Amino acid sequence: MSTTIPAGSLRPTRSSSITVNGAEVAVADRDRTRPFLLLHGGAGPATMAGFADLLAERTHSRVLVPTHPGFGGTRRPASLAATTDLAATYVALLDALDLTDVTVVGNSFGGWVAAEMALMDSPRVSGAVIVDGIGIEVDGHPVTSVAGLEPAQLAQLSFHDPAKAPRPAAVGGAGPSPDLQALIAYAGPAMSDPTLADRLGRLHLPVHVIWGESDGIVSPAYGRAYADALPLSTFTLLPRSGHLPQVESPEELLGAILDLGR
Amino acid sequence: MTTPLTVTRIAHASQLITIGDLRILTDPWFTQTATYYHGEPVARGVASLGPIDAVVVTHEHYDHCDLDALLAGGFDPGTPLVGPGTVTTLAAGKGFTDLHTVEAWETAGVGDLTVTATPGKHGVHEVTFVLAAYGRTVFFGGDSLRIPELDQIPDRLGPIDLAILPVNGLCIRPAAFEQVVMDAEQAADLTAVLQPTLAIPHHYAFHSGFLGDRMITRADQDPRHYTDALARLAPEITARIVLPGVEVTVPTRPVVTGRRR
Repeated sequence: MSTTIPAGSLRPTRSSSITVNGAEVAVADRDRTRPFLLLHGGAGPATMAGFADLLAERTHSRVLVPTHPGFGGTRRPASLAATTDLAATYVALLDALDLTDVTVVGNSFGGWVAAEMALMDSPRVSGAVIVDGIGIEVDGHPVTSVAGLEPAQLAQLSFHDPAKAPRPAAVGGAGPSPDLQALIAYAGPAMSDPTLADRLGRLHLPVHVIWGESDGIVSPAYGRAYADALPLSTFTLLPRSGHLPQVESPEELLGAILDLGR
Repeated sequence: MTTPLTVTRIAHASQLITIGDLRILTDPWFTQTATYYHGEPVARGVASLGPIDAVVVTHEHYDHCDLDALLAGGFDPGTPLVGPGTVTTLAAGKGFTDLHTVEAWETAGVGDLTVTATPGKHGVHEVTFVLAAYGRTVFFGGDSLRIPELDQIPDRLGPIDLAILPVNGLCIRPAAFEQVVMDAEQAADLTAVLQPTLAIPHHYAFHSGFLGDRMITRADQDPRHYTDALARLAPEITARIVLPGVEVTVPTRPVVTGRRR
């Protein structure tokens, strides 16, 4: 893949004319915004909204939260049938938006997507944060299956303090929800890829692996194995947090991301 | 009459230096990657460099030796290229043909330009340079550490018109914060030894991306720390912080009688 800024060219300043109040205003736009791409897990984009606000306000960054196609009532084309397909779609999204120095932050299934994006060698992606991610296989530390769980059981596994779990929306009808169907379409029934850990061994991007200490879906030991699979990684354990730190302890998660290396 | 000496910083450590009709390009870096960002505008593309009489390269790191970008931008690989053996070997492999290998205290002549490699120290093998032509002299510090051997430059090579020094004190986090570039205080200290007519800091806007800055590198991005330190250590020396693309004309050396130490 070519570098973002073509060899021998200047960094772009976008010049445009915008007509406002009857005047044509020539604007030279130098955008050096530092972008973040936030990738949600199986519980949907709502689990990223609050943290996205916090990150954008506190760091004055550009924060993008896509809805994985198939989630939230959106359509998933048949061509998107694997985690790598979704990752390639988001790399193309960064191309379409012409973003550089993107930090990809993914939670749970979104962490797997972040890992796959990092492996695609896009020069637009300068680092990844994997928060209670899934995707690798770790002997003795299986990913807890969430299929068929009652909301209360899911909250028990996902939160250090289940009382902090948002009230589940009333679910109509029987059978797996469309969101869960989309998740299984991407992640497969095993919710992991036996080749991922080995592939991560060749990654040369900085990756911060952050784990809720009380995660009942993927254990902290699984998280340490995730970090160990990455040559350039740092592992941070968040106390009093579960599988969704951005929901349960967003300030602590933001602090962990921003204070790294201080 | 004194020959005009100018310098235009393109970005980072890429400088376009002119001494009279000679045009010298230092440590070229034009592109970006996932963990290397200029952090400032790149003032010129390869196509608008104009004729170049010599390229001088201190070491092979990507942000100082972006030869791929030069070639992709149509740069003439027959242009004389001066550097340590690590660099000229690399350049030969990329198709550069007029190579001049110099190690510390060795000199190469490229037309009227004399390039003397001076000592350097970094994460990889590095030299610094003293460029001289028509009675004007430039010290180019690349991104070296401050090492005592550099103090010999005035005695060995005479007075300096322009000193260009790195100032960000870059540290490599995964290497136990090993420092690989001189910091502002060390650069000011070296400037006081070199006693140039004008000093210009470079190598400070660069960053490694949001996570890279926190996990790979740590660096001082404020060049005022250098000018402040220099004002304390050697207030008689003029220093200028220069934006990319601004051409600076270096004043003529004042006539000094007797030997300056």
